[in-house]
Amino acid sequence: MARLSGTGLIADDLYLMAHDDVTGRPFLQSRAVGLGLAGGLLAELMLLDKLRLSHGWVVTGDPGQPRDELGYCVLGLIVSERELHPVRDWLAFLARTAAADVAVRLERAGYLRQARLGRPRRGGRWVPADPDCAFAPLGRARSALEAAGAATAYATILAGLAVGSGLGPRLLPYGPPDSRRRLDMALEQLPPGLRELIAQTQAAVDSALLAHRVRASVPNDLASSQEKPMSRTQLT
Amino acid sequence: MSRALARDRLGAPAVLFFVLAGVAPLTVAAGVIPTAYQTTGLTAIPGAFLVVAAILAIFSVGYVAMTRYITNSGACYAFVARGHRLPGWGRRRPGRAGRLHVPAGRAVRSFGPGRRRRGRRAPGRACAWWAWALCAWAVITVLGLLRVDITGWVLGVLLTAEVTVILAETIAGFAAPAGGRLSFATLSPIGLTSGGFGVFGVLAVVAVLGFVGFEQAPVLAEEARHPRRTIPVATYVALGMIAIVYAGASWAMAVHNGDRRVVTAAAQQGPGLLFGLGGGALGQVAQLLFLTSLFAGALAFHNVVWRYMFALGRENVLPAALGRTGANNIPKTASLIQSATGLAVIVAYAASRQDPMTRLFFWLGTTGGFGIILLLTQTAVAVIAFFARDARGENAWRRLIAPGLAAVLLAGIIVLAIQHYATLLGVPPG
Repeated sequence: MARLSGTGLIADDLYLMAHDDVTGRPFLQSRAVGLGLAGGLLAELMLLDKLRLSHGWVVTGDPGQPRDELGYCVLGLIVSERELHPVRDWLAFLARTAAADVAVRLERAGYLRQARLGRPRRGGRWVPADPDCAFAPLGRARSALEAAGAATAYATILAGLAVGSGLGPRLLPYGPPDSRRRLDMALEQLPPGLRELIAQTQAAVDSALLAHRVRASVPNDLASSQEKPMSRTQLT
Repeated sequence: MSRALARDRLGAPAVLFFVLAGVAPLTVAAGVIPTAYQTTGLTAIPGAFLVVAAILAIFSVGYVAMTRYITNSGACYAFVARGHRLPGWGRRRPGRAGRLHVPAGRAVRSFGPGRRRRGRRAPGRACAWWAWALCAWAVITVLGLLRVDITGWVLGVLLTAEVTVILAETIAGFAAPAGGRLSFATLSPIGLTSGGFGVFGVLAVVAVLGFVGFEQAPVLAEEARHPRRTIPVATYVALGMIAIVYAGASWAMAVHNGDRRVVTAAAQQGPGLLFGLGGGALGQVAQLLFLTSLFAGALAFHNVVWRYMFALGRENVLPAALGRTGANNIPKTASLIQSATGLAVIVAYAASRQDPMTRLFFWLGTTGGFGIILLLTQTAVAVIAFFARDARGENAWRRLIAPGLAAVLLAGIIVLAIQHYATLLGVPPG
């Protein structure tokens, strides 16, 4: 069941940060949520060294499968592509379904539940099972804004992706006055691949905004997520 | 994966729509063209639109060729930065669009003029122009802070209606030519030089104003389905459509009123020059749409400016605070600063009781058109510089001849316009 320490997966924590801890309403436009979570999913695999970034291209790293089912699916998709693709394309591709996929993963772990409230004909939405557990990721990301050099890579990536996808106004007020500078310093300490992933995620979110495309092409409410969750069966 | 991604991306029609939505055609057709006839006293305006379209098409050859290699394309700004290798500009961060541009043309196109007319023409209302301007300002400020995609949708709907009305008015104008016959004189390039060669520089600056926005397609390169094909197609089609609509409308005005009388008619009727082409009902609809078009112009301008401020804030060329988004991914700071600037302009002109039509609209408008030609020239030179380092397999026409020709032609326009700046502003020499 839901614990305050979380699932230990970046995309899960980012999802909870991007949605209200009580009502489950998103703080961001749907495309920004998707792109941020896509960055989170790739970052999870990069932290396990299953993936690497080489001059903007995604290449596979260590053989072997991650234990997490969604990570397994994402890695399977990347491995099964005949040609290499730039990280920008993978972000755009994963962003289409990332929110729905991560929501399903969080439901299985006990952090989200379905609520059929609101207007008829709408699918309803995901609400946090426990608001305290849903608020906890903010605290984990905040540790990247405090003592310089002491933050874990996990916290730094989480904070970097959150600010990159537009959650700055939500996260930064919890840190010290010069949070943004401290975060930049912490990001400098990350390996180059992860730094580039965060920069590319932010660039993708910005570019969607500049082109006025802020709504996800695949709606990520509950109804659609029940139709097409990514699963092992899709690959086999 | 590639197929799924392609479905998710923008095709040429969507890019074209995005480009044209920023152009506000009815404002130009009803506002700029009669003002241009009146202020410059020249009749070769339709020809000027065609010639300028041809020059811009030559410019576009190199411009879209460069788009293929700078996919983060911040269009002009990024191109100039990359072409001249400005340290740290445009190349610092991957995938970031940055643009520098002279939005004055559009600013002015939308702000002053019609607002005054809006006060004058709205039936039964006798408010001062600034009251209307402030209402529109308030709506735009709210829309700018609400949701960025709503503005795109609003602009699209208004654009479709505007183009339809201009075409209808144009056809109606041709159906009733003065003296019963169609005159091609105003279309002829010879007419451009009839009043001396400098006349062409003046007309070109005015005509370029109408095309501002055509260069926006590369902004969408990252979101386009096939950037190598979609962006050039959208750019050329946009150029062609703008040229046909404006040249057609201004030609119809000259045909309907007679070549000799069109200048005096423009002075008497103003935007009525366009609305007078059709019958009563069509004229009424067109007048109504002119009001929404001015609003759309202001909204499009607001959009463009926050985008520039946001993109440049991201690149740390402007203060970084401009490049940040607030709650729900809205670039709050950039949007609010633009609103504040608009308010300041309206208040300043209202307080000093100046005539926004000539003092703001046409003067700053032509100055803006002038700035845009400067920018385009610089971009053309940047394209040559960019390909001079590495031809990247492009042929000589695309990387050298066309941009070189465009740079020379645009620089020529600048020189001619400087020599005849008085005509441009409609004031006596000296």
